[in-house]
Amino acid sequence: MKMVLSQRQREELNKAVADYLSSNGYMEALEAFKRDADMPGEVERKYGGLLEKKWTSVIRLQKKVMELESKLSEAEKEFIEGAPTRGKRSPGEWIPRPPEKHCLTGHRAPVTKVIFHPVFSLMVSASEDATLKVWDFETGEYERTLKGHTDSVQDIAFDQTGKLLVSCSADMSIKLWDFQQSYACLKTMHGHDHNVSSVTFMPGGDFIVSSSRDKTIKMWEVANGYCVKTFMGHREWVRLVRVYQDGSLIASCSNDQTVRVWVVSSKECKVELRDHDHVIECIAWAPESAHSAINEAAGADNKKGAFQGPFLASGSRDKTIKLWDVSTGMCLFTLHGHDNWVRGVVFHPGGKFLLSASDDKTLRVWDLRNKRCSKKLDAHQHFCTSIDFHKTHPYVVTGSVDQTVKVWECR
Amino acid sequence: MNPAATPSPKPDTEDGRWMNIHNRYVSEAKEKEPEVIMVGDSLIQYLEHLDYWNRAFAPMHTLNFGIGGDMTQHVLWRILNGELDNVKPKVVVILVGTNNSESAEEVAEGILEIVRVTREKQPEAYIVLLSLLPKGYLPNPLRDKNESINVIIREKAQAMPKVEVLNIGQGLVQPDGTISHHDMYDYLHLTNAGYEKAFEPLAELLQQLLSEGEPEQDLTPSE
Repeated sequence: MKMVLSQRQREELNKAVADYLSSNGYMEALEAFKRDADMPGEVERKYGGLLEKKWTSVIRLQKKVMELESKLSEAEKEFIEGAPTRGKRSPGEWIPRPPEKHCLTGHRAPVTKVIFHPVFSLMVSASEDATLKVWDFETGEYERTLKGHTDSVQDIAFDQTGKLLVSCSADMSIKLWDFQQSYACLKTMHGHDHNVSSVTFMPGGDFIVSSSRDKTIKMWEVANGYCVKTFMGHREWVRLVRVYQDGSLIASCSNDQTVRVWVVSSKECKVELRDHDHVIECIAWAPESAHSAINEAAGADNKKGAFQGPFLASGSRDKTIKLWDVSTGMCLFTLHGHDNWVRGVVFHPGGKFLLSASDDKTLRVWDLRNKRCSKKLDAHQHFCTSIDFHKTHPYVVTGSVDQTVKVWECR
Repeated sequence: MNPAATPSPKPDTEDGRWMNIHNRYVSEAKEKEPEVIMVGDSLIQYLEHLDYWNRAFAPMHTLNFGIGGDMTQHVLWRILNGELDNVKPKVVVILVGTNNSESAEEVAEGILEIVRVTREKQPEAYIVLLSLLPKGYLPNPLRDKNESINVIIREKAQAMPKVEVLNIGQGLVQPDGTISHHDMYDYLHLTNAGYEKAFEPLAELLQQLLSEGEPEQDLTPSE
């Protein structure tokens, strides 16, 4: 290590050396040193003991640094060994770990929804500030803002290719955005008579499904923007609508405290799921990978007499999450733990876990097989409104009323 | 006619702020889905800008419809004109009257009229009526008046179904009869510490009312 001293520092050092020599009685050396260093006269008082002071403080600091380093390594050990290291993590087991990898700020009002892009390392957030913001979740960089809505954006969704983005808003419109090049708004669809609460693509990408506070669910053709179907039956505000993987069924949840499952082809309500005691905020269809864990949790023998599914999870203002077998309309089990409204649920791609976001400001990871909360993260400073899990990469994203978006790395 | 019990919009200042605030509250009532609504004067309004609000009341999904300087007649007008429409709160909290210039009986009547209208608009909700706070550094006629209003209110409202009369003034007047500026910086409005002292009973009551009928919490162990 090569040390370079400034002119001033060198003079100080010389004076400190001179003081050291004189205070220790090395008078001959002092005289010789003064001559060599061209430093006549007495050494000022303020240099008294300076050399010793520096000498000892370096050692004291070294000691302190070593203490802190050992503390840090202990904390790291605890933090890392509580979870697999990055190298050893496996896609079926990884779950989000604190602290967050990125905390993204920019929205000027509560964040209502966050979703991952299916292909690129991008995610989109929607906010009550009427904008959508695009971010790179790996670098934490802000990419762009999509403006056009005139009131709170309520929900957003990508088609399977990630070339189209759809958004819906309290301004009663649905907007389609080009996500390939221009990021322009391609189409605006009107037809709902109230706040459009939720929107999603049908699997083929040719149709959009939306739900509204006007109590209806509508299906729209992407090519021409026409409304081609309306599903009626909910008695109040429909909060969220989600399409089953094969496109044959639609599930919706509502302020009327029911989840309804609709047959797309006939528009009929196939089943009504009742067991929540308050507004149902969110729903998620279970992926195939979750079937065995759900069956085990429900107490069924996986070989014979297993529940067939499809399975659906719902989160409610009654603070619980429920798992349903849609084929029979049965509530299989209930997850208790959140201290406030449950605002978002998403299945782990591996199928062993369910993740939830809540107004109790936490993100929770539920071990489905054992029906217990296996991890709780204090995620935000205010209500945690939305959560998404990347299908292939180890990332989870959350949005909050505190106006931030947080990216969590999984291990 | 008792002016304190007769709904009237606040005579507008030239900037029209009062009506703007009211309109904003009406639209918030339409958009948000509060479980608790607080209506009243500055003592309610200022609460929203404290850290204490975020810790204690925001988590309960509370909307704050306070306007500084409001008297009973103004709050009455506001709740008759949209602030309690399109919502289904579980609890409505009311604190108003200290700005009124009418007699104690008249102001009490105004408050009871607010309770009546609130009940009409929200038949299911609990109504929490907060006692008027003491004011002035030393004992004075206005402090006595607020106390008389509280006595009348307690007497008349206590027996009403689903109405809770809550005394929040405790501990503000010191043994020597003075009010500390640590609690009320201008002997009318509360400081941060004053709010925590005065509103703690409310926070607890709301917690109880909101969790009524819920099963015992299952304390799920987590990692």
